[in-house]
Amino acid sequence: MDGAVSETEHIERLAREAESLKIRLDDERQKLNDVTLSVVADRLEPISCINVKPRRVLKGHQAKVLCSDWSPDKRHIVSSSQDGKMIIWDAFTTNKEHAVTMPTTWVIACAYAPSGQLVACGGLDNKVTVYPLSLEDDVSAKKKTVGTHTSYTSCCAFPNSDQQVLTGSGDSTCALWDVESGQLLQNFHGHSDSVMSIDLAPSETGNTFVSGSCDKLVFIWDMRSGQCVQSFEGHESDVNSVRFHPSGDAVATGSDDATCRLFDLRADKEVASYTKESIIFGANAVDLSISGRLLFAGYNDYTVNVWDTLKCQRVALLYGHENRVSCLRVSPDGTALSTGSWDTTLRVWA
Amino acid sequence: MVMSTVQTRRQEVEQLRREATIKREKLSKSMKEMLDFIREHEQEDCLLVGFSSQKSNPFREKNSCAIL
Repeated sequence: MDGAVSETEHIERLAREAESLKIRLDDERQKLNDVTLSVVADRLEPISCINVKPRRVLKGHQAKVLCSDWSPDKRHIVSSSQDGKMIIWDAFTTNKEHAVTMPTTWVIACAYAPSGQLVACGGLDNKVTVYPLSLEDDVSAKKKTVGTHTSYTSCCAFPNSDQQVLTGSGDSTCALWDVESGQLLQNFHGHSDSVMSIDLAPSETGNTFVSGSCDKLVFIWDMRSGQCVQSFEGHESDVNSVRFHPSGDAVATGSDDATCRLFDLRADKEVASYTKESIIFGANAVDLSISGRLLFAGYNDYTVNVWDTLKCQRVALLYGHENRVSCLRVSPDGTALSTGSWDTTLRVWA
Repeated sequence: MVMSTVQTRRQEVEQLRREATIKREKLSKSMKEMLDFIREHEQEDCLLVGFSSQKSNPFREKNSCAIL
């Protein structure tokens, strides 16, 4: 019984320390909060007119499109769908170059490797599988299972090279895998609910990534140590999407709470919230233009909203999809935007 | 159950301790640098400023010869 009492005391002591640390952290942040974003943004010219038009419609999936990624060649797109297929598109011609059928439906995640010669995908199979792309062979022939989670794979990305793949999962963890050996290189524990989205810091030498989770939190991780180095709270529901600002000093997020937000890493706080009274549906996907001035966000109300990140105003609305916008990516050179939807299509805007 | 609560609490405290040690900057400084980054890259941002000519847009309509 004594043991139980001391455990309770132990918990209380830890809870008190946590409380005082939180107060100290808030104080520290408050001290540095010497300006508002709107004051800074007043120095900028307003955005005159966004002339982004629908340019291509990619048709071929039989069910909801769940994820997509641009090839480094700025021309090809990989997409994955609830129909169990992964398709490689030539976005210029809208031709399908490869269509791979996975063993399970709901292929939730897909990503291009930096070489453009390899793609990774996963979903309800709890796995991450890589496929080398070659025009001669059947792509499935050379597939390789690299990692396995204890729940679904929700997102994946290649950090810096084709040799490693980083995954996020419904089992609340992220994991770094060696592609060649399938070995688990690092495990990232900290979230208390499904990880929905990850993104790598833009610097080539960067060893950090960001994750967003159904626990409403956003974490910044050190890939080498496996430790969470920074966390951001603020969202009131699932964080569905996270993307680094091209400067590497901030992250943009989209959430089921119908807001998108911007968190500054160095000031260690939320600096902007992108919201309107008329927007009541969740944001599933976010990305930033290459200067970081524009934030694109895909919502459950079928629209893509374009936000001025600094003035926090909506500057354009892209209509076209006939169901939820589930994924969205700015091309590597910033000239085009791809969107994917539950309406089974992908669209390219430029 | 008790053990997992202790462990969760301990992890939370360790996380907060780590976060308490990170170096922070004034918001004015970090916002100014973000502003500078945006200004520096605005002209390359085709989704923001458009293309200097439609010919440089890789996704332009191929048969758009009719200029009215």
